[in-house]
Amino acid sequence: MTWETLAFLLVAGTAFGISGYKFSLLYKVMRAQTGKAPTFKDWGARIGQLFINVLGQKAVLQSRWVGTAHTMIFWGFIVITIGTLEQFAMTLYSGASFEFIGESAYYALIWSQDFFTLLVLVGVLMAAARRYLNPPKYLGQSSDANFVLIFTGSLMVSIFLMNAFHSLGNPWFKEAFFISSGIGNGIASLGFTEEQSHTGFTVFKWIHMLLVLGFAVFIPGSKHLHIIAAGPNTVLKHLPLERGMKSINFEDETVTQYGAAKITDFSWKDALDLYSCTECGRCESLCPAWNTGKPLSPKSLIVDMKKNLHANKAAIIAGKSEEVTPLIDANVTEDVIWACTSCRACEVACPVFIGHTDKIYDARRNLMMMESKFPAEVQPVFKNMETNGTPWAFSASDRANWAQGSDVKTLADIGSATELDAVLWVGCAGSYDDRNKSVLKSFVNVLHKAQIKFAILGTEEQCTGDAARRIGNEYLFQTLAKMNIETLNRYQVKRIITACPHCFNTLKNEYKDFGGDYEVIHHSTYLAKLIAEGRIKPAKEMKETVTFHDSCYLGRWNGIYDAPRTTLGAVKGVNLVEMKQNKETGLCCGAGGGRMWMEETIGDRINVKRTEQAIETGASVVATSCPFCMTMISDGVKTKDKVDAMRVMDIAEIVDQTT
Amino acid sequence: MNLLVCIKQVPDTETKIKLNGDSTGIDPAGIKWIVSPYDEFAIEEALRIKEKNAGSTVTVLSAGPDRVVDALRTALAMGADNAVHVELPESADSFMAAKALAGAIKKEAPAELIFFGKEAIDDGAAQVPQLVAGFLGLPGCTVVCGLEYGSGTVTAKREIEGGSFEKVELPLPAVIAAHKGLNEPRYATLPNIMKAKKKEVKAVKLADIGVSQADQKIKLKNLQLPPPKQAGKKIEGDAATQAKTLVDFLRNEAKVI
Ligand code: SF4
Ligand code: SF4
Repeated sequence: MTWETLAFLLVAGTAFGISGYKFSLLYKVMRAQTGKAPTFKDWGARIGQLFINVLGQKAVLQSRWVGTAHTMIFWGFIVITIGTLEQFAMTLYSGASFEFIGESAYYALIWSQDFFTLLVLVGVLMAAARRYLNPPKYLGQSSDANFVLIFTGSLMVSIFLMNAFHSLGNPWFKEAFFISSGIGNGIASLGFTEEQSHTGFTVFKWIHMLLVLGFAVFIPGSKHLHIIAAGPNTVLKHLPLERGMKSINFEDETVTQYGAAKITDFSWKDALDLYSCTECGRCESLCPAWNTGKPLSPKSLIVDMKKNLHANKAAIIAGKSEEVTPLIDANVTEDVIWACTSCRACEVACPVFIGHTDKIYDARRNLMMMESKFPAEVQPVFKNMETNGTPWAFSASDRANWAQGSDVKTLADIGSATELDAVLWVGCAGSYDDRNKSVLKSFVNVLHKAQIKFAILGTEEQCTGDAARRIGNEYLFQTLAKMNIETLNRYQVKRIITACPHCFNTLKNEYKDFGGDYEVIHHSTYLAKLIAEGRIKPAKEMKETVTFHDSCYLGRWNGIYDAPRTTLGAVKGVNLVEMKQNKETGLCCGAGGGRMWMEETIGDRINVKRTEQAIETGASVVATSCPFCMTMISDGVKTKDKVDAMRVMDIAEIVDQTT
Repeated sequence: MNLLVCIKQVPDTETKIKLNGDSTGIDPAGIKWIVSPYDEFAIEEALRIKEKNAGSTVTVLSAGPDRVVDALRTALAMGADNAVHVELPESADSFMAAKALAGAIKKEAPAELIFFGKEAIDDGAAQVPQLVAGFLGLPGCTVVCGLEYGSGTVTAKREIEGGSFEKVELPLPAVIAAHKGLNEPRYATLPNIMKAKKKEVKAVKLADIGVSQADQKIKLKNLQLPPPKQAGKKIEGDAATQAKTLVDFLRNEAKVI
């Protein structure tokens, strides 16, 4: 046994021992999570994710410059690791080599080591340039990141120097190491003896190996843990974009904790999420709460939750759940939890598919249902929902008053939905809010023009419970959902159209869990379809510059970006312009996640910020497709004193006026 | 400490009230019932005292038809320990309700404090707390928006005319009628809602407490709904014309001058 073998056994044994121990703790902590993880099906699509988003780096590449740098580093490391393995083998047993793969294959392997080392080095330089020359604000300072860049850079330099010495006096390697042999030529000119060259090789090989082994120890405790966790996290991500909140089974009497009071109340998949975070800050850069001075940053939330998990490691592994400290602490405050508009910009931007919103909802569920702690102004909203089936203080018996004089039938009038084209779900805003009542009237006009056979539930309709659910009052949500489903099923409703994206999302993606399975169509899609089929023709000219504001629950939650734009584009004379944030990166109006019913007391107002973006486009009309957006943007226009210059119109109103 | 709270179930504030067939009462069909909002202050205050004084119990009582059990469950969900349903016909007046409640209270263990809302928002009579205090021979204080507890006494801050306040000291046991401002009532937690569903509600029959139909002193003969609100009128023209039109309106249409 040579000294090298002995030394390697000792150092590598220690390094892998420490690293392995650290990983085993992370694994134990993950397995000790008590929350229910989702079930994972559809493995074909998951393998697809492995190719698209892990190996293919698609989501990472959403940011061009740094995504490219990352892809170079990522691929480089995979290839370089093969060489490193050979090196380890050779150090253990001097005769070991990967030559058995055949000469040309081995040549390619050696060649690729040089090529990918260069690739990684360039990638590291690109990343460093971004981080130090012109860092985006959301990146933040990170000693982990500095360390990783220096480490990776040094690792590549050591590889080049090691290969350079290796190539000295060895023509085969000289040719294969097509880059480092050039460095070798430079070294050769210094006149090293063969022995000295060999020593040089050994020195840099050891530097390289020690760096690798040091890295192995560093990874589990750093943000670089993502190189292990992000792959599985991507494969295990929630596959379809459309997603409802997970339901609680209140019948199950073994469940005594609703929502998350402690970090351990989350599932192992949530822990994997935390392990996967790279602290890239993409989520934060798009978060409406963060960008208007609220204490919530989705990135900090994830990082702080990870800190909480680490701080409680001992208690978690020992199974002493009573010693685990609460989730709400000095970092993750109640204000952080209530600031979220559930706009989902964070999740759509996250390159490693972390689910931020579910964690926020779980924290809210605990605050709301277990501790009865929530913004005081929400209490009357809940009471109204409980007694009148609407968040507003109006009588349930007045729900259908908006339709008086509009020739709209109720299902009670006609007995069943079987002969109808669709049932029109009006929603609370359409029923009670003056501005949105007129939107509904316009939509009804369009439906009449297109000769659609439809009816409403009238006073039998109740709030879908969207806001209650997002605020964490799952119990109230389920109460409302079950009543609505009973009504809809009693009338044999199959197809529902609605002008409210919140109702749309809830009816379509969330009522399924409670026995309500319907084809649900948002009016933007329905209008586009009616126009495409020629049932309505927006032939009257509307000479306006229009900008469309994406509703989060239409766009990011359900992937509908084109239908409203197609509809607007079909109107003669309309000049459609985009705001600087649009579609996937669109800025929320500030009303989602139940924020519609809470005061906005911290920072700037989100709706005003969004309105400013609309004003920047020079548009004379802001088109909306959501009653809450309508309210928020209209408010913003008033605040900016632009009522004379800019109108806020629902797409249904625009279609009604031009058909 | 033994704390009692008397609550009333009333139609929700947004309910569109309809009269029954012979106009002797309201039509209960389709009404959403809630705990009268002032009574929520009463429940909350009792719960807060209980939380500060270990070993205390809060018992809620409500007199009315079977539907009031829902209101009792709401109070249980907020955190009350026991509930008593005192049977009472829909038509009962304040006197009869007070006598029934006083009868039921006498059957309970002696209480230090008996809470009410200052009035129920349906008939707005604001009589029951005082009547009960009278029946029980206890001191009472109405329109209470602040309470301080001493040993054997309680000091109540009450609102009086003109937005002023006065402080009243009462020896215990005492009757307190709660007003807005006393506290912010809580929203029940889910575990408490679940527990409340299973709790027993004690039933008290009128015969058990010596109350009969003869105790109903007021009989409603002919209720009328207020005339529907008319749209506001805008008086136009110059100052002189406006004044003239206004006087004309007040004299001939509103008939007030
Ligand atoms: S959902 Fe929207 S508001 Fe909530 S954390 Fe994510 S980006 Fe921020
Ligand atoms: S949560 Fe995702 S987007 Fe946000 S910092 Fe972490 S990895 Fe980046």
